[in-house]
Amino acid sequence: MNTYDIIIVGAGPGGSMSAKIAADLGLKTIFFERGRKPGEKNSSGCGLGPRMWKDFPSMMKELTPEKCPSMRAGSAARNYFINQEGVVAGYVMARPTESVSYEPAKSWITMNCYRSEFDPWVAEFAIDAGAELKTSTLIIDLLKKDGKVCGVIDEHNNKYQAPIVIGADGAVSMVAKQSGLRTKWAQDQITVVPQYDFQASPEKIDDIMGDETLAVWWSAIFPASYQVFFHDGFHQGLGNWLNKWDKNPLYYLNRVINLKYYQRLLRILNAKPRELQSHLLPWLKYPYNTHTDGIILIGDAGGFPCPLEAEGIYPAMVTGKAAAEVAAEAITSEDFSKNFLSKYDKVWKNTSIGEEFETGEELYNLWKALPFSPQETMSWFVPMFMEVMGGIYDWSQPHAKRVRQIASQIKSYMPKALPFIMKYVFPLVAKIFEEDLDKMMDPQKLMAVIPKVMDLVPKKKKPRRDNT
Amino acid sequence: MKSNGLTKHIPGTKDFIFIDQNKCNRCGQCILVCVANLWRKNDITISISEDYKERCLECAACYQVCEADAIEFHYPSGGTGIIYEKG
Repeated sequence: MNTYDIIIVGAGPGGSMSAKIAADLGLKTIFFERGRKPGEKNSSGCGLGPRMWKDFPSMMKELTPEKCPSMRAGSAARNYFINQEGVVAGYVMARPTESVSYEPAKSWITMNCYRSEFDPWVAEFAIDAGAELKTSTLIIDLLKKDGKVCGVIDEHNNKYQAPIVIGADGAVSMVAKQSGLRTKWAQDQITVVPQYDFQASPEKIDDIMGDETLAVWWSAIFPASYQVFFHDGFHQGLGNWLNKWDKNPLYYLNRVINLKYYQRLLRILNAKPRELQSHLLPWLKYPYNTHTDGIILIGDAGGFPCPLEAEGIYPAMVTGKAAAEVAAEAITSEDFSKNFLSKYDKVWKNTSIGEEFETGEELYNLWKALPFSPQETMSWFVPMFMEVMGGIYDWSQPHAKRVRQIASQIKSYMPKALPFIMKYVFPLVAKIFEEDLDKMMDPQKLMAVIPKVMDLVPKKKKPRRDNT
Repeated sequence: MKSNGLTKHIPGTKDFIFIDQNKCNRCGQCILVCVANLWRKNDITISISEDYKERCLECAACYQVCEADAIEFHYPSGGTGIIYEKG
């Protein structure tokens, strides 16, 4: 009889973490993967930040190039700004700044590796802990008895029983659907993300990119596109919500590839396209319907990718751990009711993921309106930003005149920029600083400061030097 | 850029995408979002390419975007379908 304490559908990083924790807690655990091995159905999502090492230290310290040959870490990110003419109007390379407080994060920003290597590596921890992994197994339905969930069924009608099922089965979650938690995402909760993988030699990547590990191509002619460097290749992808496309997603991705600048980069890297990939990525203001009787959803299945940049592996692992811990308590209490499992919400809300989602709506709104609205917003944002960054590089005029021209040009963007700031930036700032903001905006304090600032401004223009 | 030859599939799956012509309102959103360019519109119907099992990227965007609920999407049989070696 295939009877377990807990069943986990999906062996991505979230499902495997859940399986590891469950097995560590002494539960008879099984987890399922529809691919021949974990990670072979997944694309993207593998830029691992220092918080992975902070939260999962004993596991992550074992991640080495022998285990994941595609690993590449770096300390810098590049931001390209592409204008409406498809010209790279400028770029900014950035390293960790002086305000970074977590020591390891001062020397590197992400460690990238392919899912085809990372996911099986995480799954091994669960197997070592005693969980059973069944690969090449497509789970097609929930098993129910007297209306209660009591397991799952695979496509060959094999039945697996357990009083609790964790849905770790990604954006299009069978567990979410069959449990009645969600039939489909709303169009503004789900993005589609096409992506190319390019092959390039490690030496070329190191020579040309140095210790840069990723780049974002901010643009007025396509939704923001990310570039992630691995040991012997890189991803170039972009996404947008399903209700935001007016042309095929691949058309916009090819716009990146066809930029003159990008073609030059491909030439000097001697890069060759290796794979075309596409996946759905939930991108929400706030996760909801995360559990019901006998069911908990984690990771993408629960809508947990970061509300700002939609990174999904870390939230999947954090929620996977939380789900397994709550499931273990449910087993001890023999209570699998929705009411008992609501403890899951309390647990994840108390993690860094919960804190992230406290400003979820504001982050989501700002991001959606800026890099993912190329025509509406980036068309003025890019030239405005570049006036500030690069306007001074014009030797056809006296510099003071040039500054006036730049100021006048920036002023011309204000009818668009100011409403944008009021609508999207202020709410975020207000939410982040809350009471502190009131203190900062206290009129008495402002009055105490402003006259001092005013004193610094010369009252009279100094007389010009006159040589005559 | 040509995307031919940039995908690898393991054959042997059952059908896993179905369209219900009675529900389909011909809005064409599936055609718009399909990265693999699998959907076609003729005079009266929208249909999926006959060789979709060898070309589908399994993102399920067609299913998610269909507000008429005309598209049924399952995943291919375990161990078959798209393989991402560098995903």
